[in-house]
Amino acid sequence: MSFELAVRITEIMIALVFLHQSVEHLSVCKRGRGLFIVRIVMCVLLIVGVYTPWVCLGLVINALLILHRFQGPYNGGSDRMGVLILCAITLVHFMPEQAWREIAFGYLAMQLVLSYFISGGVKIVNADWRSGRALADVFLFSAYPASESMRGWAEKPRLLFVMSWAVMVFELVFPFAMLSQETLIAALVIAGVFHLGNACIFGLNRFFWVWLAAYPSILWLQGRILDLGY
Amino acid sequence: MLTSMKLILPALIPSWRFFDVIAPSPRIEFSVFEGVDSVERDWHEFRPRPDHLSMIEIIKRVFWNPSWNESLFMMSCAERIMAGQEEHSRHAIMQRICNDYKAALDDVMNDRFVQFRLVFVSREGDEIRRHVAYTSPLERLDDEAQI
Repeated sequence: MSFELAVRITEIMIALVFLHQSVEHLSVCKRGRGLFIVRIVMCVLLIVGVYTPWVCLGLVINALLILHRFQGPYNGGSDRMGVLILCAITLVHFMPEQAWREIAFGYLAMQLVLSYFISGGVKIVNADWRSGRALADVFLFSAYPASESMRGWAEKPRLLFVMSWAVMVFELVFPFAMLSQETLIAALVIAGVFHLGNACIFGLNRFFWVWLAAYPSILWLQGRILDLGY
Repeated sequence: MLTSMKLILPALIPSWRFFDVIAPSPRIEFSVFEGVDSVERDWHEFRPRPDHLSMIEIIKRVFWNPSWNESLFMMSCAERIMAGQEEHSRHAIMQRICNDYKAALDDVMNDRFVQFRLVFVSREGDEIRRHVAYTSPLERLDDEAQI
């Protein structure tokens, strides 16, 4: 995937993500509508491809104002990934040289890899995760299960043990998927299914969409690394 | 400027420590009552999750889930209150409780007050424990503007 194509797909995907989040916001939030209406307009401009660098900059300022409004991210990690993607593509447009543009976009790809690898690392050092107890606790008493009936999964220790190890191993081996295009695509499909599962079980739909928006960066980076002959 | 940096830096240099430990989980409970001197409280869980979701509802929520996402924000607010960032988060929770309550009722609400508390649920050994970690000040229901 060429650099220009990967950046353009990322722009369109992140614009769709922000558009979706903004419409969701407007449906429940009556105050601060202006911020989200402006965001919607800028997302449409980003999709169309008009004044892209300035629209990206405008979206960064808008994101900062939204962070101020909620005194932090509205939905934790998914908002942070959204801002990270936005800042990366904004830097791509304002960097004077191609090498710096690639570093900015490559940083996003690297953070995507780390989002899995670190997440797996912090779990595997925890005895509760290794035994499946932590995942049982998520179902048993955390605020995440989308319905009460899903709490019943806490009573399936063998399944949760297998699921815990499947998640940890997948997250930890994710960087090795960069070794070939086939393994990377397979890993991204598995990761997408994992996020879709989290969206269904825990209602984390924002994570699903925003993580997909970061995938073009890693597809490009892998091709770039292979081009360099590593 | 410093505040802006504090807000944006965790996005630029994320920690990615998702679910590293399963910490005590907050529940928001509220009570609406008449008269500021009332001492009896009838606590209700704020936006309890449904008992069951059909497959169609689950799939629909992948595309459209604003209320749940707002509830997750409320959980963040609860955690921020416990971390000492009280004012903004208390206000955010109180506004939504008042709005939901007003939307559910049509009757005149003279002299009604609202209060919420944060109940943290955790596991100790094989037992599930609940403890009230925070109780908000009373607020008049009508004082809370729309969100």
